[in-house]
Amino acid sequence: MADQAAATPLAFAGSRSGGSALARALATRGGRIGARSALVVLILLAWQFAPAGRATNFWLSSPSLIAGTLWQWILDGTLWVHLQATLAVMAEGYALGCAAGIGLGIALGLLPRLHRVLAPFLAGFYAMPKIALAPLFIILLGVGEASKIALVAITVFFLVLTNTIDGVRDVDRDLVRALTLMGATRLEIIRKVLVRAALPWIFTGMRIAVRYAFTNTLLAELIAANRGLGFLIEFNSGNFNITGAYAGIAVLVLCSVLLTELLSRLETRVSRWRN
Amino acid sequence: MDQMTLAPARGAERAVSEAKIRLHGAGKTFAVRGTEVEALTPVDLEIGREEFVALVGPSGCGKSTILNLVAGLLQPSAGSVLYDGAPVSGANRRVGYLTQKDTLLPWRSTADNIRIALELKCRATPRREAADRVAQMIELVGLKGFEHHFPAELSGGMRKRAALARTLIYEPETLLMDEPFGALDAQLKLLMLDQLQRLTQHRRMTVMFVTHDLGEAITLADRIVVVSARPGRVRAIHEVQLERPRDVFKIRFTEDFAQQHERLWDELKDDIIKGTEV
Repeated sequence: MADQAAATPLAFAGSRSGGSALARALATRGGRIGARSALVVLILLAWQFAPAGRATNFWLSSPSLIAGTLWQWILDGTLWVHLQATLAVMAEGYALGCAAGIGLGIALGLLPRLHRVLAPFLAGFYAMPKIALAPLFIILLGVGEASKIALVAITVFFLVLTNTIDGVRDVDRDLVRALTLMGATRLEIIRKVLVRAALPWIFTGMRIAVRYAFTNTLLAELIAANRGLGFLIEFNSGNFNITGAYAGIAVLVLCSVLLTELLSRLETRVSRWRN
Repeated sequence: MDQMTLAPARGAERAVSEAKIRLHGAGKTFAVRGTEVEALTPVDLEIGREEFVALVGPSGCGKSTILNLVAGLLQPSAGSVLYDGAPVSGANRRVGYLTQKDTLLPWRSTADNIRIALELKCRATPRREAADRVAQMIELVGLKGFEHHFPAELSGGMRKRAALARTLIYEPETLLMDEPFGALDAQLKLLMLDQLQRLTQHRRMTVMFVTHDLGEAITLADRIVVVSARPGRVRAIHEVQLERPRDVFKIRFTEDFAQQHERLWDELKDDIIKGTEV
């Protein structure tokens, strides 16, 4: 690891000016994690002890106040209620959107003529920011979970659909021919070649869709809700409880980091054969 | 054509009674940017049951087109292609086709690729038996130790051998091969030729084998079809008068082999020279 880092011009310059110990430390996993932690602690300390009057204290809050609020939420269960509400909406919408997107995507990938007829409509819906549909869904399905699930599902659906269609269409026709000559049935070709070959595309669509699902769940909750992380932030801001709003955002950041980490691990597992 | 009358040909009597494959004025034209391009001028060709026929000729002469017609991946624009007396319409599932480009599934390991034909409903094989046959095939093509590698982790020659194993494992009655050993080094090629001869003789397969390598053709084939440069047409058919089983490793140094080779080269050289000018 240290050798790799030394090969970069910057690390080289560093080592010449006598900072080689630090450069080497940063090249290790432990060193990086340590540096990141130090950065976070530094920012939190600066935030905590910044000279501030009463007014700025109101706008900026402080890490200790935020931590206190978070602790309070954990103790009285507030955090779980809202976190659970958000994750449930997101998961249900995501699952629905993925299932529909993959199913229809495979079908349209196999029916190029139908796909060509529908392509402009799909492109239009794909490009449209789905959040614009939120007010409509609220009228149609109410302010409860159903309208949010619908919004998330439709967002995810178009992302996964487009990728699945592209994936199925991109399959090497020679592979299909080879299996046909071997005597494979149509269903076997779909299962063993088309779906399998489209899988990396489908996963790409699903990975991108996670972020959109998360964002749109939050946006929907900001617009109209009575629970969820979006509601929590919106409610606290509305009551000028800045500390509460920051605490909500802190939870969001943590969720995002965990999601990203989870997805990148999954991705490396399923596409081991691509190098 | 004198060589055709030399000795009573092994293939001749079979070809009369039961032709496995028959091309009857079969030709193919493609439309390329609005103009018709003739890939294969109508050819007449008969392949007997259990016959081993090599197709030789310069690049782009339509040898692959002939195989594609027999496999049913292309439909003739003229004439007809008969397999067991019936016209080939759509993919011909009775043949195993080893194309020039290997069509291994990139997400499957070597062993899983070789096994795939045995997974299909039409020849569902018990797990244990399938595993045994895969192991045998891997041994046969010399890929031991690479069972769990993905195609992207194999060399070109290894991929060819994996593709060969994948085709041989289900023992199709007819084998179509398009330059299967082009990417192999000389020693390995001889080993593979030896195995191929054993297997096709033992399983009584009918084989059509496209190659650039005259030596390869003489070593393996009962008859050699010489195809001329574009547009392709059958220029001559050679009987190979060499006893079977042939010693793949030594036959190249025999007098008979040298004569066959010389005759074949005389047939081909004009076309090859013409081919390189194009």
